[in-house]
Amino acid sequence: MVIEDTLFILWLMVAGPLWATVGLFVMPGVNQDQPKEDQISKTTLQIAGVIGGFALGPIGVALLYFEPAMIRRTTMMVGVIVTVFATSQVLVRVVDPNLPSALWLILAGPLWAAIAAYILPRHYRELEADDQNVLTAAALGGFAIGPLIIGLMWKSTPKINRDWMITLGSLGAWQIYTLFAIQNPDNPCVLAPFSLTYLTQQTANGVVIGSIYSLMAVGLTLIYSVQGIVSFAHGQLYMVGGYFSFYFLLHGGNVLSDLTGTEVSINPIWGIPVAAVIVFVMGALFERTFLKPMHEGLIERAAEYAILITFGFGFVIEYTTLAVAGPFPQRTDRFIEIRRFTLQRTTITEDFAFGPINIIGDRAFAMVVGIVLIFALLYFLQRTWTGRALRATSQDRQAAAVTGINPTNMNTLSFALGSMLAAMSGAALIPIFAWVPWVGAEMVGRSYVIVVLGGLGSVPGALFGGIIVGIVEALGAGCHPDPSRGAAYKEAFALVIFALVLLLKPTGLFGREHN
Amino acid sequence: MKRRRMFMNCVALLAIFALLPIGMAQADGHCEFADYTITLGNLAPLSAPGAVAGGIAMDWAAKQAAADINADCGIQIDGVNHQVAVVTGDSEGSPERGQAVAERLILEDEVDAMLGVYHSAVGLATMGIMEANQIPTVFSEPWNDNVSANGIREFDGAPPRFEDGIDHIFRISPASSMVGSVVVDWLLSLGVDDVVLIVENTDYGQPAAADEKARFEAAGATVSQIDVELGTEDFVPILSRIQARAEAPDVIRIIVTGETSFNLTQQMSELGVAPSADTICVTNQFAFQSEQYWATVPDGNYCAFNRVGIIPSLFSDAAVALNAKYEMEFGDIVPSFAMATYDAVYIIADAMERAGSYTDAAAIVGAIEATDLDLSQGRYYFRFGGHNPDLPEGTPEFMWHQWPDPIVTVMQYFEPGQSGLDAAVIYPEVYQTHGTSYIVPGTSP
Repeated sequence: MVIEDTLFILWLMVAGPLWATVGLFVMPGVNQDQPKEDQISKTTLQIAGVIGGFALGPIGVALLYFEPAMIRRTTMMVGVIVTVFATSQVLVRVVDPNLPSALWLILAGPLWAAIAAYILPRHYRELEADDQNVLTAAALGGFAIGPLIIGLMWKSTPKINRDWMITLGSLGAWQIYTLFAIQNPDNPCVLAPFSLTYLTQQTANGVVIGSIYSLMAVGLTLIYSVQGIVSFAHGQLYMVGGYFSFYFLLHGGNVLSDLTGTEVSINPIWGIPVAAVIVFVMGALFERTFLKPMHEGLIERAAEYAILITFGFGFVIEYTTLAVAGPFPQRTDRFIEIRRFTLQRTTITEDFAFGPINIIGDRAFAMVVGIVLIFALLYFLQRTWTGRALRATSQDRQAAAVTGINPTNMNTLSFALGSMLAAMSGAALIPIFAWVPWVGAEMVGRSYVIVVLGGLGSVPGALFGGIIVGIVEALGAGCHPDPSRGAAYKEAFALVIFALVLLLKPTGLFGREHN
Repeated sequence: MKRRRMFMNCVALLAIFALLPIGMAQADGHCEFADYTITLGNLAPLSAPGAVAGGIAMDWAAKQAAADINADCGIQIDGVNHQVAVVTGDSEGSPERGQAVAERLILEDEVDAMLGVYHSAVGLATMGIMEANQIPTVFSEPWNDNVSANGIREFDGAPPRFEDGIDHIFRISPASSMVGSVVVDWLLSLGVDDVVLIVENTDYGQPAAADEKARFEAAGATVSQIDVELGTEDFVPILSRIQARAEAPDVIRIIVTGETSFNLTQQMSELGVAPSADTICVTNQFAFQSEQYWATVPDGNYCAFNRVGIIPSLFSDAAVALNAKYEMEFGDIVPSFAMATYDAVYIIADAMERAGSYTDAAAIVGAIEATDLDLSQGRYYFRFGGHNPDLPEGTPEFMWHQWPDPIVTVMQYFEPGQSGLDAAVIYPEVYQTHGTSYIVPGTSP
């Protein structure tokens, strides 16, 4: 299971209920030497003592007793997380493995989520307390720790801030993980001590591919934030970027070989700026020709027009490429000659070793390229006049125009830049995937998920959204209880997270409200 | 002087225009054709999500066959030569789209016979349409066993698919079971007992995997199956899962087609999962197209692959000629589905000539059943059909209207960048070219 048996026995001996009881009785003594106005309430001290003792045993009680300033909401939440996790682990080992599932369903889980979500917001409103995020917190807390959250929030009606949400979300995740571990004891994601290596490997896989997803999604979100339209040609621009790189490397290599008289091959890194320049110009020309009339009010049904015209643009690009390049898959040389980076197995204790972790060399390189480009874009948007002008236009076109910014030029720039980013991600990925004229279809679908998940129009949202999607897909495929279905459901895992985030935060993770 | 030169130029120009049709007639190979052109419908995936590369190769092969037949005076029926034309409909690899296109070819283009079909799902979905419209059909690539097995089931009348008692559907590609049995027999002969199947989620992949799984398990091997969707690009998470097993599997068998299989094979090699000292890599017949394979799977040396069709060293003159034309067009070795599609046109043309009709479906079907023809893939004939309806005990149902002799071999690359024509044939023993049934990675045969 998750941690070795001896650790649990140790935990039972030095922490757990015994030390929780000690904390309960000892902690009120903290107030003895304090003036009345500085005293912490007895109930708070008792709760802190129970949590500290339960989670960290004598260390927890001593820390809180001698440093009562640590009795803060965040510290207590961490203590609750440790307590819940440890309790669930003990239940798994000591009691019948199926019992905790039943207990969890009774004590917490969906039932308590529904009860908490029903009761607590009403209670807050009756007391005229700030009820922002209370519904979400109540549902998460009920799911994770059952009646405990109802008691806690009922009694103190705390203001639900980000700390609360993160803590309750983490608790819920732990609960799910624990239940998962109970039901799937042989799954590589819970099989201790190996699971740490495996989870790290899958998370690294997700971060690497997610960073590359982000680059493409950033282009899409940039176009949306300035122009308010979704480019349905984005997948094809990504695809054609790869092909521009491919043909540049092929013909450039041939020309250099002819000139030098020796076999010369160009590193694919040089294909990225070439694809960027060509597609930037393509995007600018398209915007000037077909989208500008829309912004000038010459098109009656602008929203539908934008969808159709970008869709048509993508269609033309895809079938032109099919005619020119053919249907057979292509790929360029590697960025680097290192096939994979391996973090070798390291023995930490007699029973515990970490590693090996493998990352494919070209993917790691593409990840670095993707992250550098995204940060370069962020620098451009934050630190240059043109970038600020783009942001200003995205926030308020009329106000931007009043300050001397030309919104028409910003439209063109945003579409060209967005297209360029798609092309650059294509050029960064053609050494990694077999490239065909319809390769953008899968990628663009994922990009739409990423930009909405991160928040439409938010560049950091697209960055984190891409990484989240990458990690969720990797962990989903890697941890699915049925190995035969994990890969087939890969994209569905991201959609589940997507739906959950939208349910809890309709503007996406980093999105802002739009009128 | 100037006027005279202009007059002479005009005369020369007129002479050229006057002589042009004569020249063109000569170019047609002195053949006189009747007004009616026999039209053959070719179903092939020309757009995504279908296997576009396969569809384009099949389209080219059918049209090349028609051109070659026309150069040889077309199809002769009752002493009259008819030109052959091929109309290719884009199935997109989708059953619904395939049905719509098949109906369009039959009802609007009024084709006289049908051929092609790449995806099994399209074959299974369109068979009924061809049958209902009594269109003789020769499928050249779908592998699902039921494509031909359904024929005998319905021929036996449960339920009858056709009122006239004639099954119009033939197949010259192998059934999945024919391919699977060769690969499984080979792997069992190597002593493998821990198998991972990575399988595409389609009407081809799932039945093929079920067949191979049953064969492995019957021999006592342990089989794990991983399903993937066609079009998936990133397989690293599932490959990491395989890598995380306590013991590496003996073999990873890829039952995935198209560029999806290239991505999978390359990522498997890059991560060091297979081919390796512990694990045999077995990919699919696409690996035989060595230009494509090495362009997209540069680390795929020592991967074995199943191959359908005659082995390169036994190529007939017809196969050599077809391969040369294909190489000129696409710069790669001709794949089996292009050869089969090319041959399918010839089988239909030959049957029409022997039936003496391009409209009498019953006569054409009868003639196809009696086919005995040497073409690019070998000698074609159909052992079981209306002419011989009783399948002996133990004969699989898919042998109905099925060319029984497609050659299935296992080949293996042993040098990076090696041509498919030079890859080692390692199984069955009778076709072995390098005297070994497996080349261990890092060694030479």
